[in-house]
Amino acid sequence: MRRAFYKLLYFVRTAFRGMWSSPVTSGVSVITIGVTLVLVGAFALMLQNMEELLDKFGEDLLVTAYLEPDISEEALGHLESRVREVDGVGSVEGISPDEALARFSDTVGSKSALLEGLDVNPLPASLEISLTPERRSADGLEAVVGVIEGFPGVASISSGRDWVEGYLRAVALLRGIGTGLGAILALATLLIVANTIRLGIFARRDELEILSLVGASRAFVQTPFLMEGALQGAVGGAIALGLLFALFSVVLPGLEFGLELLVGSVPRFFTPTESLLMIGAGGVLGLIGSAAALSGRSQP
Amino acid sequence: MSLPGLQMPRGGTAASSPRGDGAIRMFHVSKSYLAGSFALRDVSIELGKSEFVFLTGPSGAGKTSLLKLLFGAERPSEGQIVVLGRNIARLGRAAIPPLRRRIGVVFQDFKLLSRRTVEENVALALQVTGTPPRETRAKVFAVLKQLGLQHRRFHYPLSLSGGEQQRVAIARALVNEPEILLADEPTGNLDPDLTVEIMDLIASTALRGTTVVVATHELEIVRRYGKRAVRLEGGRIVEDTRPAVANP
Repeated sequence: MRRAFYKLLYFVRTAFRGMWSSPVTSGVSVITIGVTLVLVGAFALMLQNMEELLDKFGEDLLVTAYLEPDISEEALGHLESRVREVDGVGSVEGISPDEALARFSDTVGSKSALLEGLDVNPLPASLEISLTPERRSADGLEAVVGVIEGFPGVASISSGRDWVEGYLRAVALLRGIGTGLGAILALATLLIVANTIRLGIFARRDELEILSLVGASRAFVQTPFLMEGALQGAVGGAIALGLLFALFSVVLPGLEFGLELLVGSVPRFFTPTESLLMIGAGGVLGLIGSAAALSGRSQP
Repeated sequence: MSLPGLQMPRGGTAASSPRGDGAIRMFHVSKSYLAGSFALRDVSIELGKSEFVFLTGPSGAGKTSLLKLLFGAERPSEGQIVVLGRNIARLGRAAIPPLRRRIGVVFQDFKLLSRRTVEENVALALQVTGTPPRETRAKVFAVLKQLGLQHRRFHYPLSLSGGEQQRVAIARALVNEPEILLADEPTGNLDPDLTVEIMDLIASTALRGTTVVVATHELEIVRRYGKRAVRLEGGRIVEDTRPAVANP
């Protein structure tokens, strides 16, 4: 146990010494990983905020079923009960034509005088339907609308389905671009990190030969290089996080007011756990790059 | 003790000791790097514990190839090699490092790390075993003191003379108290005075129970120490002379 601890101490010291003794190659690895994570992180941040926005909209999502003009009070009550029983429906509120007109009048405010010339109320009775949380998606919406549409007495239905579908397509597109770009960048990063680590191995080939001569195992020789890669990756991840935070802090104040007005919420930065995950992702990138550099070496 | 399926060499110039506790035993060993071209051909030899043996012969005779086989840097093309009870020809890759920790190796070109101090260079052999730092420092100091280098322990190799650098390499080979010490032309880069100094150091390790094999083409050294000398030519053992008095 003690010997394992002293070996670990040696690995950590050697990994730091390796980074310190070749600042240029280490710097290239750190910067490469940093740039990759800034780009991927920016996409992740956008995606995350868009998805959260969708959740928020989902909470306010209402389906309005406009009813036939001549529907009786009794039929309205019966329809309301049927709709309430539909799977995915959270609550139902019946709006009479008079209530609808009063709401409209409130909405147009000072211009409500325009309505005084109307002899007949042109607005139909309607049902305002909210969905249960698990149905607040494009598919959920479609399922509920599909059932209610077929009920006798329902003339037409208005829902945010088109908007939700468009928004979901935008989120999916962004996710696709982010994933594709992330995969390409991660691959390029791995190649660059693997090559810089290979340069480090080449620069220290004498040391590796001597270690092998004095009885160092393959794992003993390779572990410091793996640690060095992980360390470079973690530093790259931390730098990326810092850059993203700086960008976020600079850009957000200019957009804050408009976003709050338009969508009613302000984008948020990564949580501490997500930030740690990003640093960890850098470490894993560096580790895989080092492992790729070391694989295929016949000598330790 | 003999290995099943292996025959000890009979007659010829190759030595065959009846002792079963040999530190090194080679049975009909050949080593070929290119098809049809042999660096070693049908070499059989046995070296006892604490024996001091010179490997002699001209350049290209196979001395370095033989040493490389002994510490597992190369595998034999044919034959069997038993070192400290382990059959090198059948040893898995993971079993080579533990065996090497029991063998010290000294090279003509010292093989020291120029960016590490004398102390750090010698400590490498202990660090691979996970020896605690305090114990490492004490052992390194002791071996450097024994070789008269304690005052140079914080110096870098390039600031030392050739003789001092070779003593550092010997210190690294000895700090683990190896059972076998292999030296490949250890005095090849040194002037005559330093040659004697270094050879005296190496010879003294055999007195402490270490089996020592020194490859050299300098016959003057072989004559001076009067130890067993195995002469290689064209990859074959052509002569195996033992001193009149028992070794060491």
